Amino acid sequence: MAVFVLKRALLAVLTIFAVSVIAFLLVHSMKGDPGTVIAGLGATKGEIAAINDKVGWNDPLIVQYADWALHAIQGDFGLSLIDGRDIMGDLADRLPVTASLATGGTLLSAVLGIVLGVTAVVRGGIADKIVSGYAGLAAALPNFWIGIILVFVFAVVVPVFPATGYVPFDQSPELWFISLALPVLTLAIGGSGFIARQARASMYDALAQEHIRTLRATATPRWRILYIHALRFASLPIIASIALQFIALFGGSVVIEQLYSMPGIGVDLQAAVARYDAPVVLGVVVIATIVVVVVNLILEMATRFLDPKLRAS
Amino acid sequence: MTAPLTPTAPSAVRPQGGRPLARLVRRPPAVAGALWLAFIVIASLTAPLWLPYPTEQQDFSAVLAGPSPAHWLGTDELGRDLLSRIFAAGGGTLAASTIGAVVAMLVAVPLALIAASGGERVEGVINRVTEVMLAIPAFIIMLAVIGVVGTNMPIIMAIFGFLISSGMYRVFVGAAKSLQAQLYVDAASVDGIRPVGISLKHVLPGMLNTVMVQFALVFAVAIMLQAGLAFIGFGPPIPQPSWGGMIQAASQHVYDAPWMMVPTGIVLALTVLSANVVADALAATTDVPQLQIALREPKRRMRAGASTADTQAAAGEGLRVRALAVGSEAVTLVSDVSLDVRPGRVLGLVGESGCGKTLTALSLIGLLPPGIRPQAGEVLWNGHDLTRLSEREFMRIRGREIALISQEPMRALDPMFTVGYQLGGAIRRLQKVGRAAARAEAAALLGKVGIVDAPTVLRLYPHEISGGMAQRVAIALALAGRPRLLVADEPTTALDVTVQAEILDLLRSIIADTGMSMVLVTHDFGVVADICDDVVVMYAGEVVESGSVHSVLEGPQHPYAMALLAADPHAGVEAESQRLASIPGQVPQPKDWPDGCRFADRCRFSTEACRRPIALTPRRSAEGEVRCIRSAELTAAGVTWAAAPAGVEPERVRIEPERVGAAEAAQAPTRRAEPEEARL
Ligand code: SF4
Repeated sequence: MAVFVLKRALLAVLTIFAVSVIAFLLVHSMKGDPGTVIAGLGATKGEIAAINDKVGWNDPLIVQYADWALHAIQGDFGLSLIDGRDIMGDLADRLPVTASLATGGTLLSAVLGIVLGVTAVVRGGIADKIVSGYAGLAAALPNFWIGIILVFVFAVVVPVFPATGYVPFDQSPELWFISLALPVLTLAIGGSGFIARQARASMYDALAQEHIRTLRATATPRWRILYIHALRFASLPIIASIALQFIALFGGSVVIEQLYSMPGIGVDLQAAVARYDAPVVLGVVVIATIVVVVVNLILEMATRFLDPKLRAS
Repeated sequence: MTAPLTPTAPSAVRPQGGRPLARLVRRPPAVAGALWLAFIVIASLTAPLWLPYPTEQQDFSAVLAGPSPAHWLGTDELGRDLLSRIFAAGGGTLAASTIGAVVAMLVAVPLALIAASGGERVEGVINRVTEVMLAIPAFIIMLAVIGVVGTNMPIIMAIFGFLISSGMYRVFVGAAKSLQAQLYVDAASVDGIRPVGISLKHVLPGMLNTVMVQFALVFAVAIMLQAGLAFIGFGPPIPQPSWGGMIQAASQHVYDAPWMMVPTGIVLALTVLSANVVADALAATTDVPQLQIALREPKRRMRAGASTADTQAAAGEGLRVRALAVGSEAVTLVSDVSLDVRPGRVLGLVGESGCGKTLTALSLIGLLPPGIRPQAGEVLWNGHDLTRLSEREFMRIRGREIALISQEPMRALDPMFTVGYQLGGAIRRLQKVGRAAARAEAAALLGKVGIVDAPTVLRLYPHEISGGMAQRVAIALALAGRPRLLVADEPTTALDVTVQAEILDLLRSIIADTGMSMVLVTHDFGVVADICDDVVVMYAGEVVESGSVHSVLEGPQHPYAMALLAADPHAGVEAESQRLASIPGQVPQPKDWPDGCRFADRCRFSTEACRRPIALTPRRSAEGEVRCIRSAELTAAGVTWAAAPAGVEPERVRIEPERVGAAEAAQAPTRRAEPEEARL
């Protein structure tokens, strides 16, 4: 197990390194160089070149990368080209927003998805058809469209939730919760469809296992077979799908942040890309990758721990 | 994007029968989906020819309007016609999505082929790389890419195709590997074709369906992704319409013109839904898993009416099956099975696979697969007809009076729970004792089934013990409720030869110690001779001969039993395929069962009279029964199967090599090497 954890941790570090290199090369190929971005319209070629020289834009790439990486490891991602704010400090404010969204969305997706998927199998018939239909629709409707519908229903027709905005947790836990309600629900509708589909397939698979017959032969009550033995068997693929869901939500939350005007890292990235703010793009990509890779690692460990066959090895 | 960028549909290694097109046609939603896709493609491509308005034409007299004769789907905030804009946007979106899907396939398929044919090391490297790629937040990388290439959708989608290809690879590599493995039994690799050649010629066509499924799924995700990007402002440059951009504009008017988001959203959703539905239809497989438990608890009894008191008085102790028929609604799988097991006796149920012996055994404990039920006859257990019990009533019998031992001990135990949990739980349920008492009893039971270090084994998971030990645990589970009848379905088949003997010894001593009785399903006459008192031989769903082991094995009176036992009474029915081959023809499928003797087509002695229904009759000068109108005559003449009497056409005895064709050869390629003569 220890060897496995070490190997995985190493792979995670490698992943983050690889992404940082790729992202570094990408921002370097962006259309706007720092000189153009900082000096703004109407600047002369000389002014632009001077700025570029100052920030070291013309140094060999490897030198620039090493310089960036050395600072990044110490938590210094540099300053924004546009407004000069400290990127790390800014991200520290923004990360909780996106994390709340993605975590809330994933948790609600998981709960709804598991309940729906298991119900589909256990009840069968109409319930199964309804859940399959729901999963199909949830996969086909873009989440921003679902979000607009929710805003229309819960903020316009029956105004129970605010249409937009975010309240930090330390400011008011209650308002924080309320401000997250619609965005999280939006994310969870699509996500629960995906997880319901996976849960349904896994439960089916579990109930087709031969040991279910042994359980019945020893007079195991039906609820115990379904909700303890079969669900336990199905739990591994379900957890794997939850991990995938988190990755997707964390990366994709930019759309929802935009829709609900939430100051997360997604909208930050979107704005930075639009304005060629190279250090910000690089910082957000790397931070987001770190979060996703770490969460992925934790969930993988959890799956491994939950699987008796893998736990020992 | 809410859904992960990795479509994880069930991989379709073995698609449902028929060609992909045929499969689509059989599913109405898929037909509708395909029609919609065709419509949207044609309508978008021909849009310039028929669009009612130029996409940029503004009509300030009809801003934010709902549907009207002039604007069928309404207008946007600048009075532009929504219908025109939706279809003008369609072409670019669909084309870019296609590019994404094509790129994903072009990367993933070759990778999968290389991984499948390149050996473990190559596969390991590719797996690692794709794992890394899967853990990357693709959408965020895409945004960084946009910083470089701008909002050039074809290029962005191509990069998306590359990013998502690792997920595709995961799906393909499984399919490619199983196809590759199949190839090794075929001649291809022996003939000296190089692996790459094999991959292209044999593996790739086999993967075609899976590739089509994934193509449709990626196509759908790509449409969604483009809409998402356009929604956050990374769509085609401004006046140009895009679905995501139009929904974004609509989101600004939720308050004053909620209708505006409807048409675009529905067209987008229908397109994505259609691609997914088509993918589902292509991926549908026939090998739906056979569930081991009915999804809805059967409220009704298996058959109407309760067990009557007078049969109870008449029947006495033990198991008594009378004219049992078992089947689904469509087809009868077992018919007219009668057998008796008195206390302390062991009955062997013998036959080839598919003869109905396992179904017969499972009906004794009420564990027939969902959809299959007793159709006629009685299963009398101490006088009660078990076929008329409700599920709840059967719960009192299972484990406590009748217990089951399965064929594959490893699969019979729940891999997620320890031996102690499973055994302890069964004891607590069946003996109604507390946790501590159950724990002690579990250890004692394991000791009884010959496990020395019980405390350790109780802590282990099924995968941590050997097959033989797992079967001992399974036997202990069966004994947990101190039953009076054991139903053992091929309890030794999956085990090593030496372990087989140990398990049989164990079963024999348990029977001797407890005086319980046992029904043992087997295809192995050796096992029958070893442990059984009585034997019932089944063929094509019915009993053909029954009697004491000694008399049936030494003097079979049914031609089928004679054929099986011809050379060596200790031979297995299935273990040696050549023995089966010595009977020409094949076991008929249940739907093809004739009214007359079901063995007639293969029987060397069949006559016209054999075509009429044949009942079980007492065996000649021995107890037991036989289902053959000529058995008395044949037995009297001392005829055996091997030494056919003169006048029998020789070609009827010929081997048919076709029978050990593809299916069997795939499982056991070595069999092919046996000399042909060995089969006679
Ligand atoms: S009834 Fe006729 S066909 Fe059937 S086994 Fe007897 S002899 Fe053969």
